[in-house]
Amino acid sequence: DQAEQFLRSGHTNNWAVLVCTSRFWFNYRHVANTLSVYRSVKRLGIPDSHIVLMLADDMACNPRNPKPATVFSHKNMELNVYGDDVEVDYRSYEVTVENFLRVLTGRIPPSTPRSKRLLSDDRSNILIYMTGHGGNGFLKFQDSEEITNVELADAFEQMWQKRRYNELLFIIDTCQGASMYERFYSPNIMALASSQVGEDSLSHQPDLGIGVHLMDRYTFYVLEFLEEIHPASQTNMNDLFQVCPKSLCVSTPGHRTDLFQRDPQNVLITDFFGSVRKVEITTEALSLDREVAAVESKFPDEELATEPLKYAEQLPVAQIIHQKPKQKDWHPPGGFILGLWALIIMVFFKTYGIKHMKHVF
Amino acid sequence: MAAPFVLVVLAAVTVRAALYRSSLANFIAERVEVASPLNAWKRVVEGLALLDLGVSPYSGDIFHETPLIIYLFHFLIEYAELVFMITDVLTAVALYLAIQDFNKVVFKKQKLLIELDKYAPDVAELIQTPMEMHYIPLKVALFYLLNPYTVMSCVAKSTCAINNSVIAFFILATIKGSAFLSAVFLALATYQSLYPLTLFAPALLYLLQRQFIPIKLKSKSFWLYTMQYASLYLCSLVVIICLSFFLLNSWDFIPSVYGFILSVPDLTPNIGLFWYFFAEMFEHFSLFFVCVFQINVFFYTIPLAIKLKEHPMFFMFVQLAIISIFKSYPTVGDIALYMAFLPVWSHLYRFLRNIFILSCVLIFCSFLFPVLWHLWIYAGSANSNFYYAITLTFNIGQILLVSDYFYAFLRREYYLTHGLHLTRQDGTEAMLVLK
Repeated sequence: DQAEQFLRSGHTNNWAVLVCTSRFWFNYRHVANTLSVYRSVKRLGIPDSHIVLMLADDMACNPRNPKPATVFSHKNMELNVYGDDVEVDYRSYEVTVENFLRVLTGRIPPSTPRSKRLLSDDRSNILIYMTGHGGNGFLKFQDSEEITNVELADAFEQMWQKRRYNELLFIIDTCQGASMYERFYSPNIMALASSQVGEDSLSHQPDLGIGVHLMDRYTFYVLEFLEEIHPASQTNMNDLFQVCPKSLCVSTPGHRTDLFQRDPQNVLITDFFGSVRKVEITTEALSLDREVAAVESKFPDEELATEPLKYAEQLPVAQIIHQKPKQKDWHPPGGFILGLWALIIMVFFKTYGIKHMKHVF
Repeated sequence: MAAPFVLVVLAAVTVRAALYRSSLANFIAERVEVASPLNAWKRVVEGLALLDLGVSPYSGDIFHETPLIIYLFHFLIEYAELVFMITDVLTAVALYLAIQDFNKVVFKKQKLLIELDKYAPDVAELIQTPMEMHYIPLKVALFYLLNPYTVMSCVAKSTCAINNSVIAFFILATIKGSAFLSAVFLALATYQSLYPLTLFAPALLYLLQRQFIPIKLKSKSFWLYTMQYASLYLCSLVVIICLSFFLLNSWDFIPSVYGFILSVPDLTPNIGLFWYFFAEMFEHFSLFFVCVFQINVFFYTIPLAIKLKEHPMFFMFVQLAIISIFKSYPTVGDIALYMAFLPVWSHLYRFLRNIFILSCVLIFCSFLFPVLWHLWIYAGSANSNFYYAITLTFNIGQILLVSDYFYAFLRREYYLTHGLHLTRQDGTEAMLVLK
């Protein structure tokens, strides 16, 4: 069974793309959502170099934040998810639909730094978490533009065709979130949403000290669930699907697994939320000398018996110095030259008299 | 006189060659005071490179030279430095010969007027003597060749040198009296930059004087000669423009060259007055003010022609100065040309009122141009107003210089005919005042 588990998932690395799409102070909870997921994902082993964190607004340094440099995710300010080791890759106005799609598909200008790129390959498991304000079929970015479910599905298809993921877990915490995963058609995608079409996702609790709602319900309960996960836990996706029933969440969370090839029962939470390396411990000793000798014997000496290059065989100097200069491609038309010189000669003879002509010719 | 002239030429060529080999050449070539969008060497090279790639050089906003310059440099681009040095030397030679002939004319006229008793009895000290006039051509050549402005313009390989050379040959042809050559060179100069059109009037007046045709509006011979000269000029201009069509088989060069000069789209700072004004102006008014500014250049011709009809060479000098000050993209090369003529009127020195302050203004402003440019563009602690202030001051200095010479000239003429010691009707001493 251990061996089965070992061979189960084909991924070798993990990536996370965490996107908060809302601006303004009163959307504090979206930033707190994203940062909480960021914290969990980091705790479970995905390094900052493999996380693309996009926050559309800065809550920690917002002038309205009564506790500057902090973003709390729990009532009574128990958990500061902003610290001094948060690495935000796309901040403020850089969180746009275009940038998000470019990150996903990899079509990024060459000048983009590494930290802003999703350098996944076909053995990467990617977690994509999005939160903000959404509607039926769209998600609002920065209060000025939106991404539609069709665009998102096409982006994922581009990723599939470019072999940019092995498996993809898409979590969305917005109103009518299930509409965003309706249009997916690429294989190996599993999707979770906080509410069905026609329902609103609600926020969890306001904090009277800070004055805004600190988290959304769905993410709050997902986080409670994730707090119990550690890198070696065997909890699978079915447990994640049970998180936040209607009684706690008021909205009905949804999920979609038809595109996913494995049975959710067999998919570990740490396949997406953590970066668990498969390590095989062996007590066997390997002798390297035999390996080296085997390699050497593959190249017999006679194949290397080409002539050493002599200096005199290079391009002879005489040829180099007599190379013609580059031909100019444009020449003035013959008519022009003729006309010009005819005029000049006419002027000359008009000035100095025709009698000189017989001296010239 | 040949030996000192050759010495001067050698010295000038040495200075230029030394500067070409030094690192200053690149620095000077980049300066906006020396290279304008019309005559920068960088743009000539760019235009020729575009031509080699099969693209018309007039297709972008880079190249604003005439097709004849394309033809000239197509073959001579490797010898550019030599070309510009030779151009400067040719200009100096032309000016030397021109002023030599002019001196003879002046002297003859003076003798005639003395014999006709047109001069007052006590003006002996104002009469020009051959002794003092002997070195004037050399001084003119010296002033032109060793003027720092000319040297900078040559080192920057600005085609202004070619324009200056054509104008110098035009002046030589005019003074020698050949109407045909003078019309041809004037057409070439107008063809290259539009403004020498205004030099038509002084040239015409000089030639009329030489032919002893009186300048009366009713005189038939006056109109006949004017028509001849004008038709020569216009025909050569038309022929040259049509010939340039055949270089690239397109009329592209007309909006690129003349449209550019007249409509001033490029507002890179230079030592002129256009850029700041048009950078600040609203689109709505720009056409009107472009017209006003351009008319300003051509406007002074008629009044000056009326006032200076007896003295066409002085008129030519003032007109050249006005062109250099008010043209749309002036550079220091234009200034060098009219400054070369200052020794011709060195006899006016006693009547110049502001010469010290004006020379100080001009020298200080010339030094302040690069300083304020650096402060504005590189250090960021000044802004365009500083540079514009120096531009204004420099141009005011030039204008005052020209008007000072103008006033001194008129004053001398007045004294010549009315005597040095002016008295009023009741016998007390009078002062001549410019009203």
